[in-house]
Amino acid sequence: MRRHTLYIAIMLWLAILAGLKFGVRPPMPASVLMIYMTLSTIAIILFAAADEARFQAFLAPLRAVFEGRAPKAVQLLVLAGIPLLAGWGAWLRTAPSWDAPFEPRVVHPEPPSTFNFHGKRIDTASLKNPLRAAHEKDPAQLEKLTAEGKTIYYQNCFFCHGDALAGDGHFANAFSPIPANFRDVGTISMLQESFVFWRVSTGGPGLPRAATPWLSAMPVWQNFLTEDEIWKAILYIYAGSGSTPRTWDEETKHEKH
Amino acid sequence: MKSTDFLGMICALAFCASALAADAPKLKTEPVKPTPVAADLDAGKKLYQRWCAQCHGNEGKGDGPAADFVYPRPRDFTLAIFKVRTTPSGQLPTDHDLFHIISEGLPGTSMPAWKKFIPENERWQLVHYVKTFDSLGLFKEEPAKEQVVIDAAPKMTPELIAKGKELYQQKKCWQCHGPTGRGDGPSSAGMKDEWGFPIRPVNFTKSWRFRGGDRIEDIYRTFTTGFNGTPMPSFVDAIPAAEDRWALAAFVKSLARPQKNAQVLKAGNIAGEIPADPYAKEWEAAEFADFPLAGQIILEPRWFKPVHDVITARALYNDKEIAILLEWDDGTNNTGIGKPADEVALQMPVQASDGVKPYFILGDDKHAVDVWRWSAKDGLQRYTAEGASKQTPREAGGVVAQGGYKEGQYRVILRRPLRVGAGETAIEPGRFVPIAFQLRDGDNGEEGLKMSLSTWYYLLPQPATPLTVVLWPLGIGFLTLGGEFWLLRRMRRRPS
Ligand code: HEC
Ligand code: HEC
Ligand code: HEC
Repeated sequence: MRRHTLYIAIMLWLAILAGLKFGVRPPMPASVLMIYMTLSTIAIILFAAADEARFQAFLAPLRAVFEGRAPKAVQLLVLAGIPLLAGWGAWLRTAPSWDAPFEPRVVHPEPPSTFNFHGKRIDTASLKNPLRAAHEKDPAQLEKLTAEGKTIYYQNCFFCHGDALAGDGHFANAFSPIPANFRDVGTISMLQESFVFWRVSTGGPGLPRAATPWLSAMPVWQNFLTEDEIWKAILYIYAGSGSTPRTWDEETKHEKH
Repeated sequence: MKSTDFLGMICALAFCASALAADAPKLKTEPVKPTPVAADLDAGKKLYQRWCAQCHGNEGKGDGPAADFVYPRPRDFTLAIFKVRTTPSGQLPTDHDLFHIISEGLPGTSMPAWKKFIPENERWQLVHYVKTFDSLGLFKEEPAKEQVVIDAAPKMTPELIAKGKELYQQKKCWQCHGPTGRGDGPSSAGMKDEWGFPIRPVNFTKSWRFRGGDRIEDIYRTFTTGFNGTPMPSFVDAIPAAEDRWALAAFVKSLARPQKNAQVLKAGNIAGEIPADPYAKEWEAAEFADFPLAGQIILEPRWFKPVHDVITARALYNDKEIAILLEWDDGTNNTGIGKPADEVALQMPVQASDGVKPYFILGDDKHAVDVWRWSAKDGLQRYTAEGASKQTPREAGGVVAQGGYKEGQYRVILRRPLRVGAGETAIEPGRFVPIAFQLRDGDNGEEGLKMSLSTWYYLLPQPATPLTVVLWPLGIGFLTLGGEFWLLRRMRRRPS
């Protein structure tokens, strides 16, 4: 096993490269890939060097080449290969890249403590879905309100967020960033309803700068819907995608643990 | 029963029989395959109300709450008229046909491919339930018994395509679909479907919008069985030989244009003048990029029924100027008579500054955009926009537009000198300039914010590759080689 340390290290390195390159969707920009691969290289070498015997085993094949003990063909291959690889690595760095500039975007920014809604100030921290609160004990009524929310959803949202709330409506592919997929655990199911209300009410333009408000196609829904309608639509996006909002109780539970 | 009625019925039957007899040798049919899942209408109803009623309506009349917000309109099932079928023209679809359409959806419309979301078993329940809306009881009385046999498709050879091209002329497909297949034929205007809604012939270059699918087998099936309820007829009588129909299908398939979506519109550098003719070979050779468009449903008035779903762009520059060629298909050339004129617009930030872009729809009050708008009526107009409600016309200032309509397609060249004064967006080699596109189809009543639009992309005049780019890797390669020799000499000298 130990004899193969160098080969295992090379295989591992290639496996990481393949994983990052082909396993991650959407593909990461070349500059980010470069950072990950540099880190991986350092980590692998550090791991090999952490144990003296292992490090010697790691270096042994190289030593054999440099000291002239390895077969001639192998010596030639390695000695020619290393400068070629180095040159190629440099080429990857200097070669002009015509990829679009990488624009990182905060998907779930910190919401403001208050925001304007139809001319009144709303306090985000204390905001709760009034419909859910009022009808907690009356599932039939809640179901009726959710059904009304469904109608609102299909008259306003499904073009982008999709028939089955998967972010793939018939206009979705024209927008970048793409509309949120409500079935994904990374969207509304990790958000409190107050956050969702803020996002729906103020849309793309209401985002802070780090979240690139100029790019998001998400409309400002307070221009089209009443407070009640927005809360109903929110009831529906949770019910329709089979998710539940994150609540304060959970929050405190998480903190205690 | 009155005797005249009776006579009439005999005549009708005789007519049907003769029609069938005439069809029989032309169209190879086989018995319909049995339906694998038995009906459970309660389950079907639940599923229908969950997934379909918002468009097709609780009673299947195509009048659900979302129906007014999509184009084409969701189908009214009460007349039991279906487009995508394997059964002869005028007949009902088989259960397998309905299953197929529910699973695959109708590309180019809002009807999605439900196989992504609904398990197979449940899709069969939807088939059964959709049939219950048939107000005339046709599915009970005369269900489809025979379906058209669709053999394996022949190979798409140049000869087959050439033969198909001839048939396309002969059989007058071009009258509706246009000489180049872009849906701009002389009879294409003013058509209505059986439900009374306006309908246009399909543009064959946009094969991703074929309702029935764009495999060669799908195309063959479409004009063999026809689309019931639309002006798209069955061509079995006109083109009886199956080989001929395959040739035609191959030709239609060959018209499909590849799509190449990109984030960056790269402008290539050319030595001489940039040609003013959009059909010039320099332009044909320039790399193209497609930018998908959606209806403007974000600001009032929202526009849910756009026609255009893509714009294609190419760009070239030389040491004096940059030029962008915009191309889009349009079945109608509207120059502003009776209906609004067709328009295209290119938008870029007035000054790309502080890492903040203007809002992607016509900028905002802090970040203005420069809009170059070309209309088929007035040519170029230039605006500064600080939001949709604040657009101020400005001098063309060196921006020039040349454009025109030919064979179902617009091509418009917009050009500007590279070196400009203050207050103009800097465009120079190596610099990424944000750009966005807007399109309006006059025939569809589009003007102002009723339009198709894109989000931000980039324009990049691609600089020539500098020599240093090659020197660095070479240098590093040789340096490593030198290091190796040094190590080699040291290690081999050392007694082992
Ligand atoms: C024009 C397309 C469009 C329409 C219509 C639209 N959205 Fe969005 N929405 C987006 C896009 C794009 C995003 C993702 C970008 C962003 O975060 O702003 C988004 C994000 C969201 C988010 C944030 C999810 C998260 O994880 O942060 C919520 C909630 C949301 N939309 C709800 C709605 C509701 C409710 C409606 C209808 C009342 C609606 N959207 C209509 C485009 C749209
Ligand atoms: C977003 C709106 C929408 C939803 C939701 C929807 N459809 Fe459709 N459907 C359409 C439209 C639009 C058409 C007609 C397109 C055309 O005529 O070209 C259509 C057509 C059809 C057709 C006729 C196809 C043909 O060959 O003529 C069937 C069958 C159908 N839908 C079934 C369903 C079923 C079952 C569901 C639920 C699982 C469903 N639809 C959900 C929009 C929708
Ligand atoms: C009378 C006018 C007319 C003629 C002639 C005509 N078509 Fe069509 N065709 C249409 C219309 C209208 C549609 C669009 C139907 C729809 O949107 O539902 C269409 C659609 C199609 C489609 C696309 C179907 C889909 O899946 O969306 C194909 C393929 C097609 N026609 C082939 C042909 C061929 C081949 C011919 C000549 C043999 C032909 N058509 C002649 C009017 C016509």
